Amino acid sequence: MSEHTASATTRPSTRKRYKRIAYGLLGAGIAALFVAIALDRFVLGVALYWAGGLGMGLVQRFSPVELYDERDSTIDRKASQVTLNVFAYVFVLGLPGGLVLAETGAVTLPGWFHGATWTLFAIYVVYGVAVGYHKYRS
Amino acid sequence: MRNDIADRRAETGESQADLAAAVGVTRQTINAIERERYDPSLELAFALAAHFDCRIEDIFEPAE
Repeated sequence: MSEHTASATTRPSTRKRYKRIAYGLLGAGIAALFVAIALDRFVLGVALYWAGGLGMGLVQRFSPVELYDERDSTIDRKASQVTLNVFAYVFVLGLPGGLVLAETGAVTLPGWFHGATWTLFAIYVVYGVAVGYHKYRS
Repeated sequence: MRNDIADRRAETGESQADLAAAVGVTRQTINAIERERYDPSLELAFALAAHFDCRIEDIFEPAE
């Protein structure tokens, strides 16, 4: 614990700097994508966008300090749970409701409805696998 | 959890940023703990206790 305390003296300012670098790289990648699209250089834009995202990931992975503290992790966990709950309601109520409305001829479902349904399905499959994995591990 | 971190900081003349730097979290985290909006992990509670040279239960007590 004393190591934890002693080595932490410069952590917040260093953490802030590395966070700025990480988000700056991602922001630069996004900006480059839009600029490249405007200049009709889509492939180059995507490459720069990926480079920005990769750079952000590398900074987060290899920075000498942890960029997020435990409160950040708690907030992230709670926000993720709320998001999953919200989309669970959308998935459970919205999907059958939409299909019923389509079946009765009240609406014609657009293509994105099915795409969104499969995306939500995939998210909950991944979530279920992740829950199972962590149950197994703990 | 109720805690007296703000009082202890006042005694030592530390800012939230000073304490945050000493225990390796952000100033916002210290602020959230003091306002009893965030309960720290055991690791952080131990770090705070070590920083103030006391026991965890001297700083924290469960809210009723």
